[in-house]
Amino acid sequence: MPDKKVTIQATRFDPDRDEKPRLQSYEIPFSDESMVVLDALNYIKSHVDGSLSYRWSCRMGICGSCGMMVNGTPKLTCNAFLRDYWPRPVVVEPLNNFPLIRDLVIDMDDFMHKLKSIKPWIIRKQEIPLGGGEHRQTNDQIDEFRQFSECINCMLCYAACPVYGLNNEFLGPAATALARRYNLDSRDQGLTQRLPVIADTEGVWECSFVGECSVVCPKGVDPAKAIQQTKLDTTMRFVLPFGTRE
Amino acid sequence: MPANWWTRSRRYFLYVVREFTALPLALWLLWLLVEIKRAGDGPARYSPHGSAAFVVFSVIVLLFALYHSFTFLTLAGTIIHLRFIDRPVPASLIVLSQFALWAVASGVIAFVLIWFGR
Repeated sequence: MPDKKVTIQATRFDPDRDEKPRLQSYEIPFSDESMVVLDALNYIKSHVDGSLSYRWSCRMGICGSCGMMVNGTPKLTCNAFLRDYWPRPVVVEPLNNFPLIRDLVIDMDDFMHKLKSIKPWIIRKQEIPLGGGEHRQTNDQIDEFRQFSECINCMLCYAACPVYGLNNEFLGPAATALARRYNLDSRDQGLTQRLPVIADTEGVWECSFVGECSVVCPKGVDPAKAIQQTKLDTTMRFVLPFGTRE
Repeated sequence: MPANWWTRSRRYFLYVVREFTALPLALWLLWLLVEIKRAGDGPARYSPHGSAAFVVFSVIVLLFALYHSFTFLTLAGTIIHLRFIDRPVPASLIVLSQFALWAVASGVIAFVLIWFGR
């Protein structure tokens, strides 16, 4: 199918020249049914317009760098097949709810700050010496947190969340899911260090359970579940302050 | 966020409808409090508010209440995290138990109202 074409409409924005973002249309060959939106952007950058800016890295749904709005829905562009949109034009825009730096590149500082605030690593009150052996876990203990550890920090859930869009002080879906991942880990003892952030009014209690974060997650993580279960746990902790694991 | 963000997708729209249904429900419950206060003056001086407009409003509120309750109880499977004999209780079973409790509670309340209303 050498003549098959697809139209890509990509956001362009140069902060030094443009007052607001605009869409620019590119018609490129749709030569292969396995082409994804990221392939189309790479074709544009290599053959049509080298000034187009966007983030990408692994091209296989692992790094979480290439998240963009594709026809209004947050997607990993490496996982959005052109055949699912063709013959309609494919509109590629930067992720919603984040400040725009240039073209399709958003400013992710807010997310990085939130991610750090929930201390997404195993916290021990006292480390076991190396000679003391490994931290053993049963399969059930791993199953408790496994799905939340699949998060790749792609921020699609933030782009889908109207609560974050209306109030960017909200801790948000991915950060809460990762906080829960560590709070559920039998090796971790950092719950009390994370509680001030996750149980804050701008933490889990800001969420009104739209649920779209879980729908758009490319890795099958359920951040809405993490948030609602954290609400229940923090409430039970308040009602029953004794006997809960730290 | 544009003011019409909730019209962008069906799921956003249904979410806003779900949240909105609580508002007329709250108004109806406030009215119920007024009726209860009026009933406190004794049966001789009490006549329930029964205009056609109020009946229509009540039917609409009932539909809203059913929708709100249905969505709320359906989400219980996501929220409640239980283990039984070291096994996680399936979400579908939790949802089913919530609907069963809802039916039992509705039956008990209906029985009490009808029994004492005779």
